[in-house]
Amino acid sequence: MTPVLGRTLILLSLLAATAGATVSFAAARGRGQAAWDWSRRFAYAYAGLIVAANLLMVYALLARDFSVSYVAHVGSRSVPTWVAIVSLWSSLEGSILFWGFVLGVYVALAAWTNRARHLEYMPYAAGVWLSCAAFFSFLLAGPAQPFLTIASPADDGPGPNALLQNHVLMAVHPPFLYGGYVGFTIPFGLASAALLAGRLGQDFLRPLRTWLLVPWIFQTIAIVLGGWWAYEVLGWGGYWAWDPVENASLLPWLTATAALHSALLTERKGVLKGWTVTLVQASFLLTILGTFMTRSGVFNSVHSFTQSAIGPTILVFLAAATVFCVALLAARIDRLEAERALSPGASRDTMFLVNNLLFVLFTFTVLVGTVFPLVVEALRDKQMSVGRPYFDRMAVPIGVALLFLMGVGPALPWGRATAAQVRSALLPPAANGVLLALVGLAAGARNPWTLLTFFFGGYAAHVTLRELWLPVARRVRERGEGLARAVGEVQRQGRRRVAAYVVHAGAVVMMIAIAVSSTMGASREVQLARGESFELGHYTLRFLGAEVVREPHREATVARIEVSRAGRVLEIMEPAMNQYGNQREPIGTPAVRSAALEDLYLSVMNVDAEAQALGLHALVNPLVGWIWAAMFVMAAGSVFALVPVRRRPAEGAAAAEAVPAGAAASGS
Amino acid sequence: MNRKVLGFGVALVVPLLAILVVNLGRDPQRIDSPLIGRPAPPFSLAPVGGGEPLTLDKLRGRPAVLNFWATWCAPCYEEHPVLQASARTLGPDVQFVGIVYEDQEENVRSYLRSQGSAYPNFMDAGGRAAIAYGVSGVPETYFISPDGAIVDKFSGPLDARSLADRVARTRAARSASR
Repeated sequence: MTPVLGRTLILLSLLAATAGATVSFAAARGRGQAAWDWSRRFAYAYAGLIVAANLLMVYALLARDFSVSYVAHVGSRSVPTWVAIVSLWSSLEGSILFWGFVLGVYVALAAWTNRARHLEYMPYAAGVWLSCAAFFSFLLAGPAQPFLTIASPADDGPGPNALLQNHVLMAVHPPFLYGGYVGFTIPFGLASAALLAGRLGQDFLRPLRTWLLVPWIFQTIAIVLGGWWAYEVLGWGGYWAWDPVENASLLPWLTATAALHSALLTERKGVLKGWTVTLVQASFLLTILGTFMTRSGVFNSVHSFTQSAIGPTILVFLAAATVFCVALLAARIDRLEAERALSPGASRDTMFLVNNLLFVLFTFTVLVGTVFPLVVEALRDKQMSVGRPYFDRMAVPIGVALLFLMGVGPALPWGRATAAQVRSALLPPAANGVLLALVGLAAGARNPWTLLTFFFGGYAAHVTLRELWLPVARRVRERGEGLARAVGEVQRQGRRRVAAYVVHAGAVVMMIAIAVSSTMGASREVQLARGESFELGHYTLRFLGAEVVREPHREATVARIEVSRAGRVLEIMEPAMNQYGNQREPIGTPAVRSAALEDLYLSVMNVDAEAQALGLHALVNPLVGWIWAAMFVMAAGSVFALVPVRRRPAEGAAAAEAVPAGAAASGS
Repeated sequence: MNRKVLGFGVALVVPLLAILVVNLGRDPQRIDSPLIGRPAPPFSLAPVGGGEPLTLDKLRGRPAVLNFWATWCAPCYEEHPVLQASARTLGPDVQFVGIVYEDQEENVRSYLRSQGSAYPNFMDAGGRAAIAYGVSGVPETYFISPDGAIVDKFSGPLDARSLADRVARTRAARSASR
């Protein structure tokens, strides 16, 4: 019964999406409110049907209904409830179904918030969204069916992949990633609508920026959570390996970050319209490329789903979407005319342009490094891999240059500036840069890139805090307001600006933490017998012994390590090596001791409980915790930008002042 | 129509899509061994249950199948019957050798008692042979020609078909080398 109902819901969602796309494109030509109302109804219908199909699958997973093929594939009676729910996206068919869920919610929300606005664009946008939705419903109806009927169901199933069960971050990282990946469909639809309509007006930039920012926030969090998971689980001591699928998640983030910046310039100056739209299109295409990478079996990675037949189908969609974008851009980009020319010279405008070029250069660097092994193998039938050295050598200078711009850009005034203005804007923050570089030097930084990161980081931090503080100080000085009231008014009137600087502050901290953690750590690999100890940094580590712990799904050999510092015992850490029944190789579980300034990270290389012998990889990783903290700052800042500013009519003059800024912020 | 945008877009997108199409269906798990076509690294291995050590020289003159395995490895358990059946049918024409990786001899003996074995097994003390052959995990199987060159390598559990194909190729390498 459940499989039949599930298949019916999916077929109906395919019908709703296809019909909706057709109606929407037809409506776009007529441009009537009634036609838009109809295409919106189809969007809601699609969302309702695909959400219902997801709920049905969750129900089947919880009820352990093994007559549903997907449940038979990933379900198990022995897993806890949270794992049963998480199983929804743990394997191929379910992950596509979940994609539909996220897309349904996005499409419904984007259609609803614009129900009475932007009539000239919205039907086009809905047409594009529902075309994408139709493709994913088609996948679910054909090559990746989750609701096949199992005629004689088994009593129990195998459960999801063991790696997905061993850390709670695994339950959180995929939904955030989908929130990012799938969400880029919405700005893609809006940008396509601007091209199809042949204009991109000021008013329409607001929904474009809002709906670009939402998936950007999810993507930012997802990328860092992925690194966090790798750090806590995989045991090699780092958080980023330039794995093809990590790269796949970074690529759309880079272009989307560039697009957020160029959209700001478009909004302020009416320039770069075609460029902004191109970046949005590219972000979407890169998400589909990433989806292809994880599901085609072409790339090897911890993220790869098992080999499947849907690779070619996704590739056809990628090709179709790419042809659509290139043709549309070529045909219509000339209609999105700039309203005025850019001001040349040293100005904030110019820095925005350089920022965009750097982000695009970064994207190409990562894309080339990811795809290059495929090129070599296809042309010369020889295997090769592009490793860390390439990516680090390329990414570090670009990252440092971006950090430099994060300081210099906001320090410069908009438009033309005199040499004296430029000097007085650029020189003072350098003092803070030098100060932070000296702090780094005192802390032992010798790598020139790290020192440069300290310098530019200090510079950018100065500029960022100054930009946050100056308007507050001005209100306090000129109007005699209290500090709290001044802060409140500043964030009400320029919420997006304040939010952007909070994000910048987080980004500065993150970049310093990345530089420090990757160049200033210490590590040792040692072989120990029971009772032996060794020194690492200011820690003394002693191997107390190893014991085998048998659990139903695995056999863990746990090593007990006593950590002490200056003669005082701090903690007993217990890194382990686990053997899962269905795995070829044992999987380690590292132990991490986090403190404000550094992590002590212990990972078992080999352990023998009988002989009480241990091979241990021990690392001191400075400032790693700051990366996770900085992510929360960036996320909080960008979510703050989305919070609408409420008018307070009782306040008279102040409220009247707040209206224009408030209107701008509520739409962004 | 903006020809610059069109030309740039096509120049960017067509090669990328082409390379993805060409690579569809490739197996990303496959890692070519640099040892293929080269002389097999020498080894000296103690037989399970004691006796004369086995060296590579003793395998010369016949094609050999070296299977690295362990009792703690579930896929090895899966492929065990396939190897036994093949060793029995091919008899003395092909020499099958089991090399036990990271394991206790006691476990191996009780495993072989319960599962049976049609060919000799050897302990790889300190994993020296595994390191010399570049074993990335068990099970992993190497196919050695009669003149002592590595013809092929297979990672993961063998099925009857993949095993038969590779044994046939290893035997063909004999006629080529003569």
